Amino acid sequence: MILRCVTGCYLVYLAVPMVLLLTGSFGELWLNTLLPTGLTLRWYRDVAADPSFRRAFLSSLAVAAITCMSCAAIGLPLAYAVFRAESRRVRALSRVLYQLPVALPALVLAFGFIVVFSSDTLPWLGSIWLLAAGHVVLALPYFLQAVVADMQRLDLRTLEDAADSLGSNGWQRFAHIVLPALRHSILAGLIIVAALSIGEFQFSNLIAGFLNRTYPVVLLQAFYGATGFACAATVILLALALCAAVAGGLSAGGAARMKVTVA
Amino acid sequence: MSGEATPAVSLEGVSYRYPGTNAGVFDIAFDIMPGELVVCIGPSGCGKTTLLRLIAGFLKPDGGVIRLAGDDVSQTPTRRRECGVVFQAYALFPHMRVWENVAYALRVREVTLAERRRRAHEMLELVGLSGLHNRLPTQLSGGQQQRVALARALIFKPRALLLDEPLSALDAATRVSMRDEIRRIQRGQNIASLLITHDQDEALSLADRMVVLREGRLVQLGAPQEIYDRPADAFVANFVGRANLLDAQVIDAQCVETPIGRLATPPHGYEAGSVLRVLVRPERIELVTPGIGENIFAAQVLRDRFFGATRQIEVATGNGRLEIETAARDRVANVHVPRDAIQFLRNT
Repeated sequence: MILRCVTGCYLVYLAVPMVLLLTGSFGELWLNTLLPTGLTLRWYRDVAADPSFRRAFLSSLAVAAITCMSCAAIGLPLAYAVFRAESRRVRALSRVLYQLPVALPALVLAFGFIVVFSSDTLPWLGSIWLLAAGHVVLALPYFLQAVVADMQRLDLRTLEDAADSLGSNGWQRFAHIVLPALRHSILAGLIIVAALSIGEFQFSNLIAGFLNRTYPVVLLQAFYGATGFACAATVILLALALCAAVAGGLSAGGAARMKVTVA
Repeated sequence: MSGEATPAVSLEGVSYRYPGTNAGVFDIAFDIMPGELVVCIGPSGCGKTTLLRLIAGFLKPDGGVIRLAGDDVSQTPTRRRECGVVFQAYALFPHMRVWENVAYALRVREVTLAERRRRAHEMLELVGLSGLHNRLPTQLSGGQQQRVALARALIFKPRALLLDEPLSALDAATRVSMRDEIRRIQRGQNIASLLITHDQDEALSLADRMVVLREGRLVQLGAPQEIYDRPADAFVANFVGRANLLDAQVIDAQCVETPIGRLATPPHGYEAGSVLRVLVRPERIELVTPGIGENIFAAQVLRDRFFGATRQIEVATGNGRLEIETAARDRVANVHVPRDAIQFLRNT
């Protein structure tokens, strides 16, 4: 009973801001009343028509895509190296090291980037690539955590030993065993990475150039204008992040189900 | 064992020490003949899994030679050794269907898809899993997974089959039937096999020959009956079967003094006054009514456990204790230790 009560309260607490945002985004006018008056799609049309929002929307998608690809490219070998390290001490130490960025405020990272990349030798501040590079630093720990945990859960090492004894070479083991066995956690990791990248504000706000500001950065500006517009813009961000998560979740679940139904 | 046949697996002075520790295996030598099932037994940490990993090639020996069918494979990578391995937790590939798991060795050997399917089905039939080839490993019971692992390890006609505690993850009932099943399949394929276990019943009932390991060293090698009836030392006596081990001082050529009293023994070659240990298996001790006679002692029951077919009784006799296993339902008053049930052991 108490458990249910607590769960219920928490769910309401989670839902209220989103419900308010949704109501606000469809409301014509929202001044001193409890609920807005009038129903309209005007705010969404406005956001869609705003060139800076359109540009930011695409920038965000591009940055998220680059971040995901980089995380996979860097994270997989790294996770594998951590997992396969011979010495237990090395494994423990590397786990602490790769989790460190979680404790690192994005602000600190951004200042570091500004110091390094505002110089004449490395004048890359404001580029979309640098933005993605920062997001990789912030998101990689979560990806690694998901993948390494899965490697341990599956006892990947023994699976590889088994494949080894059955005559497969290193490349075959990677293609036939490691990658397919880890596909769920890789996907789950990438969903987290995409969601983090799309929602990231602190770092992006300081690093992004004027031409490739990401969506959350532009979103902040919206709050100086009409409430309905701001609400609509925020709902779009929510939808964007949600789409990434749902798409990822569906394809992961779908892949698992397909195996069974084909059988 | 005929002298001419080449052993399927042969170890000569094989040693391996885990870097930075004193653990490992040291100077191990034994052969497995074609079709033979050798069971390696020992307490946990004795190096039995290390031994299996050395033969499979997951570890490379520091010294000694490992031969498969006469070829020195000591430095050959695992995938070229052609040993089928069954792992403790089966290690089935979770994303592959049962038949794909079984056929994996054929896939990396570039056998055609149709042929792979055909042979996987054949193999699954052999291990009694005909209807389940399209399941995923998670949809199988422990015993079924075990059979898949066995089929997968055998499909490429390996030079040897290595089983690492294959039954330890199963419940007691499945374990016994799976034990017979492994034996049947191993016999049918006539494949040289090494099975690792710490379970003495499993070892005694399965093995053609047994290897007993202790702290990385081979302490005894022989047929199960030989190991049980003539253990090399107190450790083997205790580890394989139950044992009464008594400290003994030699009185004369056919008599020793022990904590339970003076024992008449078979003739032995030891000098009077020397100190040794004698072994009496619990099932060799008899319950008797008359209180007088050779090797008959008054006994006081300390514990009496009834197991249906047998009773395990612990009694105090003299200044010592004896464990007795008997089918008799009688009340315990006196115990008789038959002269020929007494064996002498190296003092270790």
